[in-house]
Amino acid sequence: MNEIKDYLKEERNQPWRVELRKSIKSKDRIDRLRVHMPEADPTIRNKNFNEVNKGLDPEQAVFEAGRCLDCANPTCIDGCPVEINIPKFIKQIEAGDFNGAAATLKETNSLPAVCGRVCPQEKQCEATCFYSISLKKDPIAIGHLERFAADYERNSGNVSVPVVDKSNRIKIAIIGSGPAGLACAGDMAKLGYHVTVFEALHELGGVLKYGIPEFRLPNKIVDLEIDILKKMGVNFRKNFIIGKTLTFDNLREQGFKAFFVGSGAGNPTFMNIPGENYNNIFSSNEYLTRVNLMNAADIEYDTPVISGKNVAVIGGGNTAMDSVRTAKRLGADRAIIIYRRSMEEMPARVEEVKHALEEEIEFMNLHNPVEYFADEKGRVNKMRIQKMKLGEPDSSGRRRPIPIENSEFNIEIDTVILGVGVSPNPLIPGVMPDLKISKWGTIEVNPETMQSSVEDIFAGGDIVRGGATVILALGDGRLAAAGMHKYISEKVKVN
Amino acid sequence: MADLTTKYMGLTLRNPLIIASSGLTDSFGKIAELERNGAGAVVLKSLFEEQIILEAEHNLKEARDNRLIYAEYSETLDYIDVHVSEKELGKYLDIIKQVKKDLMIPLIASVNCISNIGWTGFAKQIEKAGADALELNIFITPFGFDNNCEETEKKYYKILRKVKQEISIPVAVKISPFFTNLGKVIMNFEAEGANGVVLFNRFTNPDIDIDNINVTVAEVFSNPAEMNNSLRWIAILANRLKIDIAASSGVHDGKAVIKQILAGARVVQVASTLYKNGVSYIIEMLKYMESWMDKKGFNYIDQFRGKLSQEKYSRPDIYERLQFMKYFGEIK
Repeated sequence: MNEIKDYLKEERNQPWRVELRKSIKSKDRIDRLRVHMPEADPTIRNKNFNEVNKGLDPEQAVFEAGRCLDCANPTCIDGCPVEINIPKFIKQIEAGDFNGAAATLKETNSLPAVCGRVCPQEKQCEATCFYSISLKKDPIAIGHLERFAADYERNSGNVSVPVVDKSNRIKIAIIGSGPAGLACAGDMAKLGYHVTVFEALHELGGVLKYGIPEFRLPNKIVDLEIDILKKMGVNFRKNFIIGKTLTFDNLREQGFKAFFVGSGAGNPTFMNIPGENYNNIFSSNEYLTRVNLMNAADIEYDTPVISGKNVAVIGGGNTAMDSVRTAKRLGADRAIIIYRRSMEEMPARVEEVKHALEEEIEFMNLHNPVEYFADEKGRVNKMRIQKMKLGEPDSSGRRRPIPIENSEFNIEIDTVILGVGVSPNPLIPGVMPDLKISKWGTIEVNPETMQSSVEDIFAGGDIVRGGATVILALGDGRLAAAGMHKYISEKVKVN
Repeated sequence: MADLTTKYMGLTLRNPLIIASSGLTDSFGKIAELERNGAGAVVLKSLFEEQIILEAEHNLKEARDNRLIYAEYSETLDYIDVHVSEKELGKYLDIIKQVKKDLMIPLIASVNCISNIGWTGFAKQIEKAGADALELNIFITPFGFDNNCEETEKKYYKILRKVKQEISIPVAVKISPFFTNLGKVIMNFEAEGANGVVLFNRFTNPDIDIDNINVTVAEVFSNPAEMNNSLRWIAILANRLKIDIAASSGVHDGKAVIKQILAGARVVQVASTLYKNGVSYIIEMLKYMESWMDKKGFNYIDQFRGKLSQEKYSRPDIYERLQFMKYFGEIK
């Protein structure tokens, strides 16, 4: 811990940082108002899938970076799960060294363009920013700046491909091409390993592609990161299900010395209420995957989803927001969030809720479905909703929803999407009986090394956490890479 | 040879001994063992609504303490109570399906309700899974001192009514004796469509440890003296109700089973005695019944069922409280 503090202090005392701090008085920095992220017009954007946030321009980024006080005790880092050197990259932006800022981000975060878009900074680094905790002002827009630096580097055409050590000819397998898998693949490739990523779906990127819509995270951002990995020598195999296409033993026989399982939490959960099996009632996973990856919005394709006119989305998290905003874009007249707590308790990012409200999404908070009804063809046409009130807080600190008796009523609906959570993908645990699995279905690992109960299998991301942010998954992937490298160096004899 | 066959809520049982909802009936393996030892039917261990809420709370706490389980703001955690409930209910339904697939013993599912939310839908799934009947173990906690008694009773009826609307398998209501006008309440259950009533439910009770000066849990198992209250009410109600009555609490041997049937019970539920004496004690209890019936010349259960009910017994007053006090008055 002291080493990190000394390092940060040393970095902060570099002449360029000292000079930059002196260039603007702290009072003037504090007086600046937080930059506003430019956004597409809500009445236009709710009819297309173009990215909503437009990103800061260099002038806005430098101005916002100038608000940062470059604190001696940078509390923002405490809020970052992978401890990015936040003040350093922000000061690099202030100094105009945008590519340098991107390089700093990449020291600890291999996907800054992704995290800058989808990480809940307001609950992480921005929540612990000096502005938030001491000045009670809007925090530095760390997420916006992270995105700016990463986008600038990409748009400049100067995206650097990390240097890769000389090949050690040791084969390792990554299962799943989501954020955890990509991070692990990148670090192992840098160390000279022969890395192959096995992806079950026909597209690479995992939840970044199938779970997050284009208007929030354009696929090209993810593809670029994958291209870099390809340039580093990482191999990708799509449509490949470990345990079905080939087993772990098959891969061991082929010379793979270690495995990283980042198979995610793509197993949707339901609410177990009457009528839930009627047609046009989807899980968010299915709905978003079909729209994002299978062109389901295009009726020319084989597996379209119905463009419901009255769409109810159950839940108050980011997946629910993604689903309801997708439904609106597909032409819904009424796209409604039905959430059993109030706006205050919603787990979705504040920005997502704001965007949804701007896009004419209706919110029926303090309501919960109790039953679905269908027409003679088994297609949902009505749902029964119950009003809720809030009781005492539960262990999460959020007030518990309590049904109000005799408050039920029906609404007309033709599509329902459930965004009420996911559980770990059961595929890998199902084919590896020796793998120690928690009661939640997650793979149990040593949190220091991410090594599982099967010594050559490491794991991270949602398959270990049950549900994680992108940055936590990235952190797991990198931790696992370090653990795997240590394991291979110590245990595996190379011919 | 005495024939112990009986009927309960339309189900044919090979004998009137039902294993009450308890840890003895919480898995397929245990139920198979009970069948092998001759049980007439089993009531699956209750699914406790409160238990599901507590389990969800436990998961929330673990998630907060351990960052390797769920992001604090994930949708999964936001609906953790729903997911815990779905998982527990799924396990419950799996037991029903397996029992119905591989065993012959009649199976009565049981849910412990403190509200009418959610359980009615589950009742439908219980029926679909193959349960032969459902026992509603209802107890609205009486600690809201501002609540009106009538309102509380209405909640019981509402739960029953809702469940009855959903399913067609027989439904029994298991209750405690703690009602102002117990007989009327039970008759109301009949009017609301119950097919049976189980008298009575037992609760865990507090005790005080004077050595360590703290509060503990009192004896978990019933004792034979606890049977008397249900015996009285079964005798009083036996001929007033058209629905079937199951005796429960304090039945520890074959003699006690016979007493409850003489009072008017269709069937008798046991648990504590099997915890104490082992599951094979079912065989002993049944043997005792057969031998008693042979000795008394009864070939069928119905020949003596309700013989000593209040209506049929020559001194009906003995079952009523006033006479009970007078009895003590006389021996004083």
